[in-house]
Amino acid sequence: MNYNLNQANEQVQKKKSTFSVLMKLFAFISDERKNLILAYVAILINAGLSLLGPFMVGYTIDHYVSNKDYHGILLFSGILILLYITAFFSNLIQMRLMGSIGQRMLYRLRNALFTKLQDLPVDFFNQNKAGDLISRINNDTDKVNQFFSQSLMQFLGSIFTMFGSAIFLLSIDLPLGSAALVPALLVLIFTRILSPWIKRLNTANLKSTGSLSSEIQESLNNFKVIIAFNRRDYFRKRFEEVNNDNYKTALKAGIANNIFQAVYGLAANVAQLIVLALGIYLISMGHFSLGLLISFIAYVTNFYNPLRQLASLWASFQVALAAWDRISQILNMESNLLIQNDAYKDITASFVSLRDVSFTYPNGKEVLYDVNIELEKGKTYAFVGPTGGGKTTTASLLARLYDSTKGSILLDGKDIRSYSAEERSQKIGFILQEPFLFTGTVRDNIIYGNTEYKKLSNGHLDNAIHESGLETLLERFDHGLDTKLQTSSDEISLGQKQLIAFMRAVLRKPELLILDEATANIDTVTEHLLDNILKKLPTSTTRVIIAHRLNTIETADEIFFVNSGQVTPAGSLEHAVNMLLHGKRES
Amino acid sequence: MNKRTPKVVSEKPSKANIFSLLSPYRGMISLLVLFALLGNATNLVIPKIISHGIDSYGLGNFQYKLLITEFLIATLAIFIFTYIQSIFQTVASERVAKSLRSQVSEKISKQGFTFILKTNPSKLLTNLTSDMDSVKMFVSMAVVNIVSSIFMIFAIFTLLLILNWELALTVIAIVPIILGTFYIVLRKAKVLFKKSREVIDRLNKVINESILGSAIIRVLNSQQPEYDKFISANVEARDLGLSILRLFTILIPVIMFVANLAVVSILALGGHFVVISKMTLGDFAAFNSYLSMLIFPILMIGFMSNIIAQATASYNRIYDVLKSPDSVEKGTLIQKLEGKIELKNVSLLYDNKPVLRDISFTIEKKSRTAILGPTAAGKSQLLNLLTNLINTNTGTIEFDGNAINEYDKESFHSQIGLVFQDSVIFNMSLRENIAFSDKVTDESLKKAIETAELDDFIESLPQKLDTIVSERGTSLSGGQKQRIMLARALATNPQVLLLDDFTARVDRKTEKKILANIENNFPDLTLISVTQKVSSVKDFDLIILLMEGEMIAKGKHNELMDVCPEYVQIYNSQRSTQHYEL
Repeated sequence: MNYNLNQANEQVQKKKSTFSVLMKLFAFISDERKNLILAYVAILINAGLSLLGPFMVGYTIDHYVSNKDYHGILLFSGILILLYITAFFSNLIQMRLMGSIGQRMLYRLRNALFTKLQDLPVDFFNQNKAGDLISRINNDTDKVNQFFSQSLMQFLGSIFTMFGSAIFLLSIDLPLGSAALVPALLVLIFTRILSPWIKRLNTANLKSTGSLSSEIQESLNNFKVIIAFNRRDYFRKRFEEVNNDNYKTALKAGIANNIFQAVYGLAANVAQLIVLALGIYLISMGHFSLGLLISFIAYVTNFYNPLRQLASLWASFQVALAAWDRISQILNMESNLLIQNDAYKDITASFVSLRDVSFTYPNGKEVLYDVNIELEKGKTYAFVGPTGGGKTTTASLLARLYDSTKGSILLDGKDIRSYSAEERSQKIGFILQEPFLFTGTVRDNIIYGNTEYKKLSNGHLDNAIHESGLETLLERFDHGLDTKLQTSSDEISLGQKQLIAFMRAVLRKPELLILDEATANIDTVTEHLLDNILKKLPTSTTRVIIAHRLNTIETADEIFFVNSGQVTPAGSLEHAVNMLLHGKRES
Repeated sequence: MNKRTPKVVSEKPSKANIFSLLSPYRGMISLLVLFALLGNATNLVIPKIISHGIDSYGLGNFQYKLLITEFLIATLAIFIFTYIQSIFQTVASERVAKSLRSQVSEKISKQGFTFILKTNPSKLLTNLTSDMDSVKMFVSMAVVNIVSSIFMIFAIFTLLLILNWELALTVIAIVPIILGTFYIVLRKAKVLFKKSREVIDRLNKVINESILGSAIIRVLNSQQPEYDKFISANVEARDLGLSILRLFTILIPVIMFVANLAVVSILALGGHFVVISKMTLGDFAAFNSYLSMLIFPILMIGFMSNIIAQATASYNRIYDVLKSPDSVEKGTLIQKLEGKIELKNVSLLYDNKPVLRDISFTIEKKSRTAILGPTAAGKSQLLNLLTNLINTNTGTIEFDGNAINEYDKESFHSQIGLVFQDSVIFNMSLRENIAFSDKVTDESLKKAIETAELDDFIESLPQKLDTIVSERGTSLSGGQKQRIMLARALATNPQVLLLDDFTARVDRKTEKKILANIENNFPDLTLISVTQKVSSVKDFDLIILLMEGEMIAKGKHNELMDVCPEYVQIYNSQRSTQHYEL
């Protein structure tokens, strides 16, 4: 399955109309309807009041100041103060409502994205860059929010006023009104033609921001190598490249976005000119009056001012649309690891059985071919074989990190695809080749994802640790359970990380425990301790051990030799060693 | 955060001034402002042309041609001025951002490894992305709007003062109220903006961990705890956003209200002046219409203050990175390494707890040394010291009799090859991953690939060396990554090669071949290997046994078997399978 966001769904997006995109976005604020209506009412009141204020001032001047009626002046001043107090509140309510709707939408968008990320399989993360994903969750959602919280109401308000003014213009004088609207029509066509291009430029810019973010992410996480290989220049060069690219795309998008502003202004002025010239012509023909022309010009301004506002809003709308595309690319992804409703149970099958399993990676490389193995309850199995032979892939299939391309895997007689994620992770423990720690304490890490132990106090946890025989391992950490850990830290060694991953898996007491070179960087003395801990697991536990060190696997009940897509029983340890030494390396 | 940070930080009163950012772009910014003012000024001409046209029609000397020409010229001028202004606006903001990003990356590239660990990549990522965005916004919007608003305000005030100074002074009375509101709001906003940036750092971090740890999260079905962590950061981000919103939604209505209040008081007071005939009606009308023009620029400053406050918070964070001291490069010695290494009483502390204690030993040139010891004994830290990635707290490390710090870092690192325990693979072609240095020739690349036993693997790839490796090397097996790391180290033709647990993920047969290849192809190499396997290092010239940061024993295999019970224990723990390992 193709999960690469930068290659996927380019065709899909094009089909979607702007309107349907907007509707999808509105889904994120669907339960804000009351607030939206309230905000809109506040906007209308506010707009009305801001027109009424100057009008009342003019009225006071015309009627009272010019008549030197000081009482009237004071009366109207009082009314004005009341009016401005009302305006103060409507203004406050409008800004607050719209802003908070925007903030909540941002919050929901980010949540939706993150939830989607959690639903997607490992494959998705293998095919996309961390920095780009972060950029989509943080940067792109913010672009959508900016449009929504700052511009949407203005946008709707402007369209509303424009329509009103247009009808007004046409009703006063149809020919002159239509002429006045011609530039607006041209601008509309211009906008329609240009918008896809402008959106493309903005998409390019957001994409480049994503690559910038990926580059930073990759370089900073691998900074050790950059220093040790003295490739600071390389870091600078690579960064300069993406930086330059970002500059160029941003410049293009920015200059394109600004076209609207200037063109809309031009249209407004041309409309005035048309009205003036045509109006004077009409007057000379006796169809129109001078006074009417003067007010008509003012009404034209009423139409074109909101249009100018729309110009700048339209640009931020295009940015938001481009950002939304990138967001919806993630939201449209579906996990290919669905849970099947398959109640069929093969009671004759052993605990784990692989039936005609083949696996091909998305890049087309076939790793496993027609594998058939049976694993029984309570036994220990070892997978040996050269690097790149398919051991880790086999283990990953057992834990359903991927689905096999052909064939099926049965766990306890049932297809592994029919287990819920909870059930599966309860039954299967998998210590990955590269241990990963979360920022937090050792305690946080060893009970990570363990619902049973989550609520235990330190004392009870100590007991559980003691029962499993893990306490000697905790001594390797300065502050025991409370030792602080960082994901990107070098303060603890790979061996220590493996110890934590080991404790994490053992504490869960899984029925099937897979160790993928789980102890590769742990010294052999400690490894004996780990062996003893494994022996303390319930006798029904099935263990699958992948290792290069032979002493790790000598106690196995059965050894499988994994190479060139085949998993074959090796018989004895000696035979396995022979195969290892004399077989041709696949990689 | 980190106790090891010296207390120089407190003597840093020099705060970042965001306006100082603009000084290198003085010319462009002036042009930007100039075109903005020109555009605005030409805009004022249009009503004049219209009224002139109408007047001349009334007078009977109206000419279409003149009107249309005048009008079109003005319209085109406005079009050109606004577009040029917007281009300058975009160019200026993007240039500022680009150069700031370059400066930050320049700065990072000069830092040591400890800096990155301390500052944490998530924060640097925010610095280079979202923080830059707010700075950009400041340059493109705030500058031109503030300048033209202030210009407008001064011009209008001058006109008001000329019309009637008493009334004008009444209007000026609102200035302190507005400034006071600004002051209070911005002071509070500053703290909130800083916090909101920090929340973005946290969001970045949670997302980052959930991506890097995606496999284990799925194995443990622990999406829920990840989601909880994310929600807590996201809730905080939302609440901070709402607090900031609340502050600024006070600011704008208050400013509007105060300005409107000024209108009312002028109406009452000016009306009074007209009633007592102290002022003409015409002047009063003019005063009022100018007053109404004042509101928009004041409001604009209110909006821009938000952008400025946000940009200042961001710029301060960027500035902190830019002002952090460079790692001091004292070393100047450029010399070919022979490979003799001497450690004298070396100790290393991490957060005040000793990681290595009083280590002394000598490694002869062109010899082979093994470092053995249990997990967390300090082996990897010792390698980090030997490669000058970190510095000792006490004691010295000498290469060929010169302290490690005396060497020019560049020349030193180019002669040292280090194979890390964890694989670091870049999203580039295999060729670039292995030839990760500009000094690598085709010949040394070929030799490195052969030595690391990678040629079969590379041959099997359709695009050979030009195959692009995915980020974090997810398309490769553990052993393949490890061998790529080795080839990368060997490709620079190092004098000293340090292997950190290299054999852990490589099968025994390949390991033997590789060690033999190294001996044949790189005969002058000084080899230091951290390992767990006694059998692979039995014939080494020196074996050093580390435990809990202390050196328990050193010597050849046979000597250690006689004198060191811990070594014997390790040996025995592996002996049961020795007969298989030839």
